[in-house]
Formats: sequence, structure tokens, C-alpha cells
Amino acid sequence: MNLFYHIGRYMLLMKKAIGFPDQKRMFWRNVGKEIVSVGYDSIGIVSIISFFMGGVMALELAMNMENPILPQYLVGLGTRDTIILEFSSSVIALILAGKVGSSIASEIGTMRITQQIDALDIMGINSANYLILPKVTAGAITFPFLCCISMILGIVGGWIVGDVTGVVPSVQYVTGLQYLFQPFYVVFSNIKMFLFGILITSISSYYGYYANGGSLQVGQNSTQAVVVSSVAVLLFDLSLTAIL
Amino acid sequence: MIEVQNVSKSFKDVQILKNVSTVFEEGKVNCIIGRSGSGKTVLMKSIVGLHEVDEGQILFHGRNYTAMNDKQRKEIRKEIGMVFQSGALFDSETLEDNVMFPLRMFSGMSEEECRERANFCLKRVEVVNKNNLYPAEISGGMQKRVAIARAIALNPKYLLCDEPNSGLDPITSIVIDELIQGIAQEYNITAIVNTHDMNSVMEIADKIVFIYKGEKWWEGSKEEIWKTDNKEVNDLIFASELTQRIKKSFL
Repeated sequence: MNLFYHIGRYMLLMKKAIGFPDQKRMFWRNVGKEIVSVGYDSIGIVSIISFFMGGVMALELAMNMENPILPQYLVGLGTRDTIILEFSSSVIALILAGKVGSSIASEIGTMRITQQIDALDIMGINSANYLILPKVTAGAITFPFLCCISMILGIVGGWIVGDVTGVVPSVQYVTGLQYLFQPFYVVFSNIKMFLFGILITSISSYYGYYANGGSLQVGQNSTQAVVVSSVAVLLFDLSLTAIL
Repeated sequence: MIEVQNVSKSFKDVQILKNVSTVFEEGKVNCIIGRSGSGKTVLMKSIVGLHEVDEGQILFHGRNYTAMNDKQRKEIRKEIGMVFQSGALFDSETLEDNVMFPLRMFSGMSEEECRERANFCLKRVEVVNKNNLYPAEISGGMQKRVAIARAIALNPKYLLCDEPNSGLDPITSIVIDELIQGIAQEYNITAIVNTHDMNSVMEIADKIVFIYKGEKWWEGSKEEIWKTDNKEVNDLIFASELTQRIKKSFL
């Protein structure tokens, strides 16, 4: 019952949030700010994790394929497909659920308990629309970009680590990257990230918007936002993989 | 003028406001007083529509606010300026941006005109050369003054202040009181001040509404409150020995 209550309340909040903004100039100004906070500020962590995970993936694949029958280029192919299909979308989304989700939930939650949202409402501003829509828009725009950055750096990480450690020569790795390449995988991954961007920002906003009490409650809601966003990412990942 | 007519409000099974009726007059400072938990803040939040009332109605210059839809209420809300207990300034915006906020949203002014108006309002509340600071970088008293500047930016018809003096020293409290009183008279605003501070009440109140256990228990002017024999009012206003002595000497 609790689940349905939250889903219903989330839907109603999204209905309130999604609509024409009161002031377009302010809306785009806020979208700009959110693109920096949601996207630009996440480039560092996404880059570091992607590079190292690409390297680790290449190493582990190489170590598990020490069989003369298996060609070495399979390391490149395996790294490429794993990174493009799952790592750069789902795993990065889970990481962003932690970073971006907790930040959004605590920001909006603090605004709620310090009456800043009440102040917006009293001014006659649709507070849900004003606060949530720019974040969701920024999530939808920046997550696919982060996905592309992750793909490139993950593959490059695998390449460099494979070459430096000598487990897979560059030529073999690049051959693997090109072998049976399906461009749709990149599109598929970006579609997933687009949806994850909307999901993570909106779920976190929901938990922040309905925070009450004090700082303890804001902290609890932030944690809950991360947990629920992560579960939603996994559920949607499974569904989208089955559908697409 | 704001008329509150037979307003009742409950949260779950607890009735907070019981059939409250009163009139807040134009161009005057109307103070709502009462003990903690008596329902003052709920009354104020009901007036501005943050809480939906269960029964009764609230009229803004004869316009029935309780019967309006969101779109109609939005128009009235543009006429309301509210100062919260915490100030409720936007943390992520500078002081100037905080005051410019309602202007950018609703005034249709250019950026330059908004800035001019914001600077005028900041000057009016005596906050100068601090435009680019953030709320966390200024004192509580100054935050309240900036909140007042933001509340008057759009030339509101109604100014509501929820415990504007809480947490302030007596001198800063007087500054805030004088500002509220001055602004109410200057712009002919209906001001409602929800307060615990009896010094404020005695300084600025043109009308006092005393709420006791969710009911309007007493109302009158500050001159009348000295002479009232209402026990609950006397218990609150003259709770300390000092105020009792002042009352004796006054009478």
C-alpha cells in the first residue's frame, strides 16, 4: 500500500512539475545552473571511474582468456560491448544516483524545511515546476553526454592498460573494437541514460519536496532517494533491455 | 483588508483552529498573539493558503480566497508579501537576486529596472553595499530585513510576518518593528504580524487578536489590552513580574 501511495504522490507531483514554466527566462537560467551541477560537476567522477573500470575490464578479460584458441582481439570486443551496453549507462547511472540524487534530495529538502518552498508558493509560483523541471531537463540533457564520455574513456582505459601491461597488443585491441560493431548499441545506451536522467532527478526531487521535520529527516530522505533511484534504474534497465 | 470568517482547521483528529473570525484592517499593523501551540501560525498559513481551511472563508478586499482555484489565487498571491520566521531567503542566490526574484518572475520589468527596484527596496530596509553577499554571510537581523525587502518588492497590498523578531536582540527587534510599521503606513498595506514579543505588540500594534487554544479569545487595541480583565490575556501579556509592575504604574 505504501508503494502505491508513493507512486501516486510521485505522479501527482510530476503532473504539477511538468508544464510551461511561469517565466521562460528564469527557467533557462535555472536549466543552465542545473546542467553545471548535474552534468558538468559529474564529469570528473564519471571520467575517473570509466577509465579505471575500462582498464580493469580489459585486464580481467585478458586473464580469463589465456587460451590459444581464443583470439586476443576478443579482449577489445568484450571490453567495448560491456562498456557500451551496460557500464556506461547502468553502472554510471547507479553512481550518479548516489552523487546527483542525494544532492538534489538534500537541496530541495533543505529548501522545504527552511520554508523557502513556502515562500515560492506564497509568491504565486508553482514551486514544483520552478524547482523540479529544470533539474529533470538538465538530467535528460546531460546524462547521455556523460554516457558518451564514459564510453570513450572506458574503451581508452582498456586500450592503454592492455597495451602498457602487455596483456593485449594495441593492434589486437583495436581490431576487437571494430569487430562486429553495432552502432545501435550506442543509441540504446543513450536512450537508457536519457530515461535514467529523468528518473534519478525526478525521484530525488520527490523525496526532497516532501521532506518534513528537520535535518535528520532530510538526511533520511536523501538516503531513500538514492536507494529508490537505484532500484528504479535497475528495474528500467531490465525492462528496456528486454524491450529494445 | 482581510476578513477571516468562521475559520476552522484540523490536522487528523486534532482541531487547531475553532471558528475564528476577525478583520485585519488596511493600512494598519494587526498583531496575532497567543501562547506557543495556540494556532497563530496555522491561522497565518491558512490566510495565505498554505493550509486549506476545513470550514469558513477568507476574504481579501471582499474576494473570497477560499473559494478560488489555483489560477485565481495566483493573482491574489502576487499581492501578498510574506516574511517568514527564518527569513526563508534563497540560499543559492545573492541578496540582490533574492529581492529581484519576484520582480523577475512577475513584474515584466527589464533586468536593469528589476535591479533598480531591488536596490531601492534594499536601501529602504537599510541594507546597503551588501548586494552580492549570500544569506549565510549576513546576520539574522539583516536576513529579516532582506526578507522584508523581498516581500515589498512588488508593492504588495498585504504584508504578513511570522514572528519577525524571533531570535533577534531588542535593538534589532525595534528596527524590524519600525520597518514593518513604517512600510504599512507608507504603502497603506494591511500588515499582519504573528508575534510572541510583547514589546513589539505594544510598539506597533494598531489591533491585537489574541488566540487561545485555537479560538479567538480577545481582540482590541493596545490601549484596551492594558485595561482588559481577560485572565488568559493578562496571563500572557503580563506574565513576568516586570510587566506586572509596568501595568500597575501605567494604570
